[in-house]
Amino acid sequence: MTATYPFEAESPTGDLATVGTPAVRVDGVEKISGAAQFVDDIDFGPGLLYAAIVESPHAYARIVSIDTAEAEQASGVVRIATGKDFPYKFGMYMEDRYIFAQDYVRFVGEQVAGVIARSHREAVRAAKLIKVEYDLLTPLLDPRSAVAEGADLIHPDLAAYTHVPWFFPEADTNIAHWRRIRKGDTEQAFADADLVLEDTYEVPRYAHCAIEPHVTVSRLDPAGRLTVWTASQSPHTQRHLFAQALAPLGFTHKDVRVITPYVGGGFGGKAGVSMEILGAAMATLVKGRPVKLRWTREQEFYNTYQRQGVVAELKVGVMNDGTITAVEHKLYWDAGAYVEYGANVVNAAGLSATGPYRVPNITNDSLCVYTNLPPGGPYRGFGYSEFHFGLESHMDRIAEAIGMDPVKFRKKNAIVEGDELAYGAHMNPSGLHEAIDKTAAAIGWGIEERSDNPNTVIGKGIALFWKAPAMPPNASSASFLKFNEDGSVNIAVSGMELGQGYLTVMAQIASEVLSVPVDKIRVETPDTDRNPYEWQTVASHVTWSSGLAVEKAALEARSKIFDVIHQVYGFEDDSLYLEDEAVRCKTDPSFSKPLRDFVIDGIQTDDGTWRGGPIVASGKFMPEFTNANSDPATGQGGHPNVHYTVGATGVVLEIDKATGRIWVRKAALAVDAGRAINPDLVKGQITGGLVQGLATVLFEDMRFDEGGRMMNPTFTDYKIPTAFDIPDEIIPIIVEVPQPDGPFGARGVGEHTMIAAAPVIANAVYHALGVRITSMPITQEKVAMSYLATTMSEGNQEE
Amino acid sequence: MVISHEFDYRRPSSLEDAIGALAEFPGSAWILAGGTDLVAWLRDDAVAPDLVVDIKDVPGLADIALDDRTLSIGSLVTFTDLIESDLIADHAPLLAEMAETVGSTGIRNRATLVGNICSAVPSCDAGPVLLAYDAAVHLAGPAGERTVDINDWFVGLRQTARSDDEVVTRVTIDVRSHGGIYVKLMRYAGEDLAQAAVAIVVRPDHDFRVAFGAVAPTPFRSARIEDALRGKALDAALVGRVVALVADEISPITDMRASAEYRTRMTEVMLDRGLWAAVGRLSGEGLRYGERVI
Repeated sequence: MTATYPFEAESPTGDLATVGTPAVRVDGVEKISGAAQFVDDIDFGPGLLYAAIVESPHAYARIVSIDTAEAEQASGVVRIATGKDFPYKFGMYMEDRYIFAQDYVRFVGEQVAGVIARSHREAVRAAKLIKVEYDLLTPLLDPRSAVAEGADLIHPDLAAYTHVPWFFPEADTNIAHWRRIRKGDTEQAFADADLVLEDTYEVPRYAHCAIEPHVTVSRLDPAGRLTVWTASQSPHTQRHLFAQALAPLGFTHKDVRVITPYVGGGFGGKAGVSMEILGAAMATLVKGRPVKLRWTREQEFYNTYQRQGVVAELKVGVMNDGTITAVEHKLYWDAGAYVEYGANVVNAAGLSATGPYRVPNITNDSLCVYTNLPPGGPYRGFGYSEFHFGLESHMDRIAEAIGMDPVKFRKKNAIVEGDELAYGAHMNPSGLHEAIDKTAAAIGWGIEERSDNPNTVIGKGIALFWKAPAMPPNASSASFLKFNEDGSVNIAVSGMELGQGYLTVMAQIASEVLSVPVDKIRVETPDTDRNPYEWQTVASHVTWSSGLAVEKAALEARSKIFDVIHQVYGFEDDSLYLEDEAVRCKTDPSFSKPLRDFVIDGIQTDDGTWRGGPIVASGKFMPEFTNANSDPATGQGGHPNVHYTVGATGVVLEIDKATGRIWVRKAALAVDAGRAINPDLVKGQITGGLVQGLATVLFEDMRFDEGGRMMNPTFTDYKIPTAFDIPDEIIPIIVEVPQPDGPFGARGVGEHTMIAAAPVIANAVYHALGVRITSMPITQEKVAMSYLATTMSEGNQEE
Repeated sequence: MVISHEFDYRRPSSLEDAIGALAEFPGSAWILAGGTDLVAWLRDDAVAPDLVVDIKDVPGLADIALDDRTLSIGSLVTFTDLIESDLIADHAPLLAEMAETVGSTGIRNRATLVGNICSAVPSCDAGPVLLAYDAAVHLAGPAGERTVDINDWFVGLRQTARSDDEVVTRVTIDVRSHGGIYVKLMRYAGEDLAQAAVAIVVRPDHDFRVAFGAVAPTPFRSARIEDALRGKALDAALVGRVVALVADEISPITDMRASAEYRTRMTEVMLDRGLWAAVGRLSGEGLRYGERVI
């Protein structure tokens, strides 16, 4: 396939000037100087009120009564809110949540009431005075028991819930969505296979652990306009959901404004709407006064989206020559009490649970199961990290079982452009084979390494990954662009700078088209009243989608610039090009008109009149080749995903056999970025994603007690890596097989870099110790005790 | 972070005033030094004092001093102070090795050695090391001053020999020639509470002190293990014999941090590796202080 980008380099040498270079971050000075503001930095003056939330201590209970009398009399209290004030449903893909609990609470931490007070301290104090009487029910904490015959129904009205058309709830069960894929004849393929390997893999829940907790300040002004400042990845989606949920109070989209300053990390946890709806709703009770609601670190753990746990039953058939013939993957997702966002994680995983392999016969069942644990939701990787743990562990085991090198086995089956996907569409161009080769080389695959320390052994592992953006088929992006007097540019977009470098990449794309240097382009965080639409900054799609919208706006501006030159000087548009902030002409090399001379004031003609005027432009992008319509029974017929980004991860690790401690000595990760618009930022994503992924497998370990209460909602007992806990060496490898419809060939890389981190550790631990661990996390304790059990049973056999 | 209940706060400038303040609120006054435990407990409503007595202005409590063979560490001395002190490095390097494993830099800058043994949680890092050093704890109260042997200090889970109206002024240790090690099991290399800990001090006559942390309700010394080692040169058989005693000597729990089985197994590994390293250090060979065996 030949790349056909909307815009090709047009300098005399054909080289790109900005795209592909490590441009300095446009938000760098703001961040390092402290000028950058986050929601909690904004001063709302002495009238600011504070909210505190009363939470359910029970995982599943009926609310008998709520007594607010004493709290109402407490010092500083302005207003108390309960479910009676807001009997409204909301939800991203399925409307199954209420703002405050109505008759039932379904997880520990669910909001039952809220207090608005003059100070944070008074709000917290009064919240403790609210008495809630509960009638306790037995919680369902495990997805497989929740789907068992006769299980209590957590949402008895499921069948009546509004949801997107690509969800298939099973009425009168706890299955909120069941994504089925049926392709070929799996049964026959297993019967014909030389080897069939079957096992179950378990992945627990995880927390995002962004450094900035969720925080929102909301104000309903006396004229009826609701403004919400939030730490969010999704300003327009939040506005839409606020307007929808609060429509019974008379709000329309015009009345709701969301302002999102810089965000201290999202990782999916600040996508959609979670606690922000509480702030927005409570502000309507105290017209004229801003209300701040800020989550504690504990709430950040137990009452925002969590990454869903999954139990994966995997069966793979293979021929002796290494050809994979069939995959059956049954995923039971512990989706939590509300699945309004998390059900789409389940959907995305179900569509792609074969991994990046060519598989002719497929049976995927991905079940979104209600449980009485906190709501599941988006987390970097969006279901793919979860199923890759089992899948990529399984691939190593199959390779060993048929006596084939795991790298050779993967290369034999690795998907290539044009291969048919599980749902019938076809694979996009990809550099998967190149990624495998470069990763294997980087870790010295096939070269035995021995430790000098008698207590330790060395192991190596490799694992592949793929992921497609999981979005509604018509998720779109838009941009505005305007020139200033000096030829500098402002761009307004509504993607979020989450630390990934989005604003810089948008500036680079516009810079390339307009020949304006990056440091003369300002791109800022959004305000939904001023900035054009963006669906959300999730799914690793903004470089691609918002990048295309910015590229189109820049092209429109360029076209308007050429029109002015044509009007005044008569050059044909197609003879003109931009270079070094000036319009040049291929047919008249002496012609050069600096942009700053006319992009606001226009150009004066011979008769003294003026042509042109301020150059402003807009661009939008919506994929027009996707659709989510498919047969519910087979998943065939649609084109739900825009494209896949692929790659490989490899590690060299050292393990202390007695303690189980693991040191990752070297980690290599190759990702096919299509085109790395900013290679330094891609390397940043590789490093950050890999470290985050390694944390989920080595350290993080979310625990719940038998009542469904999270036992470790603090960093004392929920461990994320410090500088002492990262690999000694990380080798980032950028592969560039262009995405034909991407901006300059780019596709997203943000989530992908963490997806294979868990199985690559599992595979390297097996290589080092001969111990196969099939449940995450792979903590030092689990490694040590598993190895001890192995050596003891071997010892017994010898006796 | 918000502390939602009320309490009085005083910051006396003399030891007498501090003791007097404690006496005014018997049983409901808490002493604030570094505050790294107390403030977290206040926030979580785990404690609800009527009075908090901040002793940071009391003179003389922040000193590290050497008098002949006795090293004195005041109750305001932080873990960072221990790490940065030449006196500690020269005379009680085990304290610095232990201090480096406590919390994070921010915690170590505030948290005090004495506060650590006053909170007396089972995993307190200072406990096993002070036990291995045969430390003495010096207190001042309405009845005057007294000294408590560290072996009598930890009387139960989070309980010490201190009376509510007493202030710990300092701890002292005998610094004659020794080798030693503090081995701490953590879930990762970053900051963590001890999941199990072993402190060993060995004197030139092969007199051993062996103390454990996080594997019983309090830090404690094992007389059986010390007796088995006393006066003997280490060899594999001897180490094997004392390691075999560990499972009987400790009483670890299973909680979300670690299983009792893992704690037991790791305590054995830590004692094994720790003994060799401590004896190596006594002779000036082997690992430097700060280099870890697990």
